[in-house]
Amino acid sequence: MTASIPTGLAAPHNRFKLPTSIRRLIRNPLAMVGLFIVLTFIFVGLFAEQISPHDYDLSNLSMARKGPSATHLLGNDEIGRDMLSRLFHGARISLTLSIISVGIGLVTGVLMGVAAGYFGGVVDLIIMGIIDIMLAFPSILLAIVFVAFLGSSLQNAMIAIGVLSIPVYTRLVRSSTLSIKEELFVEAARALGASHLTIVLRHILPNVFAPIIVQSTLQMAVAIQAAAALGFLGLGAPPDVPEWGNMLQKGRNFIFSAPHIVLYPGLATMLVVFGFSLLGDGLRDALDPRLNR
Amino acid sequence: MSFQRYILRRILFVIPVVFGITFFAFFIANAVPADPVTANLPQSALNNPEIVETFRRRWGLDRPPVERYLTYVSNLVQGDLGTSIKTRRPVIDDIRRFLPATMELATFSIVVGISLGVGLGVVSALYRNTVVDYAARVFSLVGVSFPVFLLALIALSIFYVQLGWTSGLGRLDIVLQTRQPPAVTGWYTIDSLLRGDLRTFQSAVSHLILPSLVLGSYVSGIIARITRSSLLEVLGQDYIRTARSKGLRERFVIRRHAMRNAMIPIVTVIGLSYGSLLSGAVLTESIFAWPGIGRYMYQASTSQDFPAIMGVSILIALIFVGVNFVVDILYYFLDPRIRLT
Repeated sequence: MTASIPTGLAAPHNRFKLPTSIRRLIRNPLAMVGLFIVLTFIFVGLFAEQISPHDYDLSNLSMARKGPSATHLLGNDEIGRDMLSRLFHGARISLTLSIISVGIGLVTGVLMGVAAGYFGGVVDLIIMGIIDIMLAFPSILLAIVFVAFLGSSLQNAMIAIGVLSIPVYTRLVRSSTLSIKEELFVEAARALGASHLTIVLRHILPNVFAPIIVQSTLQMAVAIQAAAALGFLGLGAPPDVPEWGNMLQKGRNFIFSAPHIVLYPGLATMLVVFGFSLLGDGLRDALDPRLNR
Repeated sequence: MSFQRYILRRILFVIPVVFGITFFAFFIANAVPADPVTANLPQSALNNPEIVETFRRRWGLDRPPVERYLTYVSNLVQGDLGTSIKTRRPVIDDIRRFLPATMELATFSIVVGISLGVGLGVVSALYRNTVVDYAARVFSLVGVSFPVFLLALIALSIFYVQLGWTSGLGRLDIVLQTRQPPAVTGWYTIDSLLRGDLRTFQSAVSHLILPSLVLGSYVSGIIARITRSSLLEVLGQDYIRTARSKGLRERFVIRRHAMRNAMIPIVTVIGLSYGSLLSGAVLTESIFAWPGIGRYMYQASTSQDFPAIMGVSILIALIFVGVNFVVDILYYFLDPRIRLT
């Protein structure tokens, strides 16, 4: 016998209605500005090699700290490297770092959240205990402690920033799981003999998809900001790598003689964080009409 | 539940949190390859096995982790947080020395944050979807997106170096360092006033302006966003329409009917922001050479100063629990229907 679930019971709340959501998103001018910034950032990150006007690592001491010119549109850094090319390569680093760290947080957080919400009891108590302790710390402080112990490197910065975002996902997924698992369609699936894994994969996860997308967009902003902060403190990429926080750290000594060395990477960080935040807000309004005001 | 029982429950809640934190910190420290010996001894000393051995014995690093953890916990129960490897002072003394500086800065910053944030949020909600709203929202989002260290550097170079309007690094002018007010509260502003020393007071306030503006503008972005959405939700309620249809003045409706009901999420965010400011704003404190908890924690982390990291972690947990407690009490006063559980 093939088990078919009555349609009324089987259809989970389909909060993720693509066409309507997209239309709502397009009508939101701030979200469109955000989307434009994010797409530009992704494009620059992907094609940094091709669009960079100069070799990002080639120093020319005679050009050190020179301001913008026709050949070097954004000027040169403290040892004469082309700022624009370094910013482009910095975008690539920020993009990679934020995607990987958000990925770490997302996968771990979703697993923990589903486990806590679905199984409840002791599992829930232990997981949420860990999460509450993690939330007691300001995230940047926790990242610093992690990186200080793991050793400064780009890879460890990604891990630290990823770990920071675990609590957000865990709480989000746990609360959604708690409400969804009580729904009739989950009960029906269980009655029909569906395994825990099937219920989680087929019924619970699709329903937390929308809030996860929103959260991930906002989390990208957090990751980029945290990476720049770690870089600025000298706890991220090695000194030569054109990571934006690193560039800011190197340029801070020349803030008067050559302010562009500090300003451009700072503005780039701000712009990208701003873009992801605008897009995240827009997505939330578009995907969750209850919050749409 | 009676108020006393509520407080007792809150206090009891602190115990597992503190032990959880010490356990985690210990676990992390022992799970990673970092070695406090290499972080704290110079290369010349590292070549001398005798010095290394003495160092390990002095800080208990030669004993197994379980034994060290148990020793730490039994000392902790007696109120002993151990001695910092870096500063060689008892951690509790270091905290006593650095916490007031952070508290003073956090309090000035949160005042700036609330004034700016609530103001912007209210204006944004009242002029919803107009140019004013968009401008206020973009402004608050820029405040949140702007890297705080860049804002600090720019503020320092413009207002301190170029214009000379405010003071720069540290908590007091160098010439006044010898006139540090005797520590009563540890807040230079209050202690100097208590002694009637206006010059020190002026210098302390002048040193607070830039860092608290920088931190405050960041926090104001977060507060403005929550104020806007919370107020908008309340403004859509029936009782607001009723109040308006009764002919009440708009100002009165907003202040007495709308804001009061919108306050709960706003207070929550203010509490969380204040808690995180009290835990030390690492970047701002580093840039402004502010001798606070954030800078202490940063230095402790980079030198794997384990007792200091543990001490500050416990402190942060206590701050977090304390702030939540105060927020809960405020809920009760804002909305007497809420029962403390």
